[in-house]
Amino acid sequence: MGRLLRSVTILALGAGLMACARASGPRSGTGTSGGAASPADREAGAPKPPADEQVKVNVDAQALAEFNERVKEYLALHNKLEATLANLSKEATPEAIDKHQRALGRLIAEARRGAKQGDIFTRESRSVIRRLLVRVFSGPDGRQLKASIMDENPGPIKLEVNGRYPDAIPLSTMPPQVLDALPRLPDELEFRFIADRLILMDVHAHIIIDIIEDALPK
Amino acid sequence: MRTHRQIAASALFVVVVALGCRVGSTVPAGAATVQAPQTAASQPVQLPNKDGSLKFAVLGDFGTGDRPQYEMANQMAVVWERFKYKFIVLVGDNLYGSQRPQDFVSKFERPYEALLDKDVKFYASLGNHDAREQRYYKLFNMDGKLYYSFKAPDEDVRFFALESTYMERDQVAWIEKELQNSNEKWKIAYFHHPLYSSGGRHGSDRRLREVLEPLFIKYNISVVFSGHDHIYERLKPQNGITYFVVGSGGQLRRGNINDNSGLTARGFDTDLAFMVAEISDDEMYFNAISRAGNVVDSGIITRRQQP
Repeated sequence: MGRLLRSVTILALGAGLMACARASGPRSGTGTSGGAASPADREAGAPKPPADEQVKVNVDAQALAEFNERVKEYLALHNKLEATLANLSKEATPEAIDKHQRALGRLIAEARRGAKQGDIFTRESRSVIRRLLVRVFSGPDGRQLKASIMDENPGPIKLEVNGRYPDAIPLSTMPPQVLDALPRLPDELEFRFIADRLILMDVHAHIIIDIIEDALPK
Repeated sequence: MRTHRQIAASALFVVVVALGCRVGSTVPAGAATVQAPQTAASQPVQLPNKDGSLKFAVLGDFGTGDRPQYEMANQMAVVWERFKYKFIVLVGDNLYGSQRPQDFVSKFERPYEALLDKDVKFYASLGNHDAREQRYYKLFNMDGKLYYSFKAPDEDVRFFALESTYMERDQVAWIEKELQNSNEKWKIAYFHHPLYSSGGRHGSDRRLREVLEPLFIKYNISVVFSGHDHIYERLKPQNGITYFVVGSGGQLRRGNINDNSGLTARGFDTDLAFMVAEISDDEMYFNAISRAGNVVDSGIITRRQQP
């Protein structure tokens, strides 16, 4: 009876974390899945996986929940700092856009002066995200997806947390299949690949806020 | 019952009279790499150029700042003198590489200066190379939005500009609602990634198709413009909808059309090209025009009727 209760508690906790992971950002990919769990995983009445897999799913959910929590914290900082700047007009000049980007980038970099790789992509969430990507890229469209991402994608270049996204580097394609597999992000943030690194980018500030090395499976 | 009529100019040597573009010039042999399967016309379809009709252009994958882009832009200005299109829809990759203020000038404002001076409006959608902040750029008329719709100034037409790099759930819900609430006779969508393409580099985006095509069919979209593959292609109608790939505005991928895709109604991948179109009541006339000023495809599309 006690074991049963423990199992139910773990499952309930896991479900809660998954829901938290999905709900903490307003954006998702093309499909209906937003976090680690596939629609099949979430399907009511689906056969329950073995206990060790349940625990793994819960650990993964916890890792993504932590990632989402850090994204939320970052977003709060972003919003606070952006509120100190004049609103960007919907009919802005390129100079105004550039000025706004750089000013916000400076404010964020200053506020996160000690920020380092792994502050948002925690060790645990990096591991989950890498596995999610392996799953996507080992699928039937994997090679095509990779080719699409690597199209016009530069080789290794130096990247820094809080650094401006390199002006001369095109933004990589992010195929819907890949976005579907990754955690949801708020409008202010995007995932992009630079070579085989996955970056988290602040769109308004045009800066890199975290990096996962070797995210794109070989 | 949907009707769809397309007349293709399929001869390899086409005497160009439509629009008066380079009258007497010809498309060089081999310029059209794919033959149109529809009924061949001996001449390109001329745009009626009627008063009160909706005249617009389509351009994609152009913002290189390189000489070919400028040459294409010059041709667009030449065409405008004879066919005064009011606006241009942009199917993305509006600026390649760096997007500093000076890049907006060298990759957009300067090449299209003649058109901007004529008050031709540009309605942008964003490609994978475009910084999201382009949505605030006045001359792209996006009103700060990544996806939006607008009613055309003439005829009964609504355009839907989508953002296909991050096709999120919110956007899908938005497009459905927007299409549902649209009462216009013509509904035209444009965005970067093509649902159908014979481009060897990227090809059809099947995943995006799964999401968008059912909505396009259900809510009576007649025409879809995309880019991404750096070619011009008109697809055979798919479920009654005509798809165009117009990613040939500045950076050509020569010989990139896959002849074996079975999708192509007409393809052109030996020079840059853009499109001009005219909607008059239930018909859309179109010409695809190369950098050299040759009409490389033309036809008439009848809008889809409400089921």
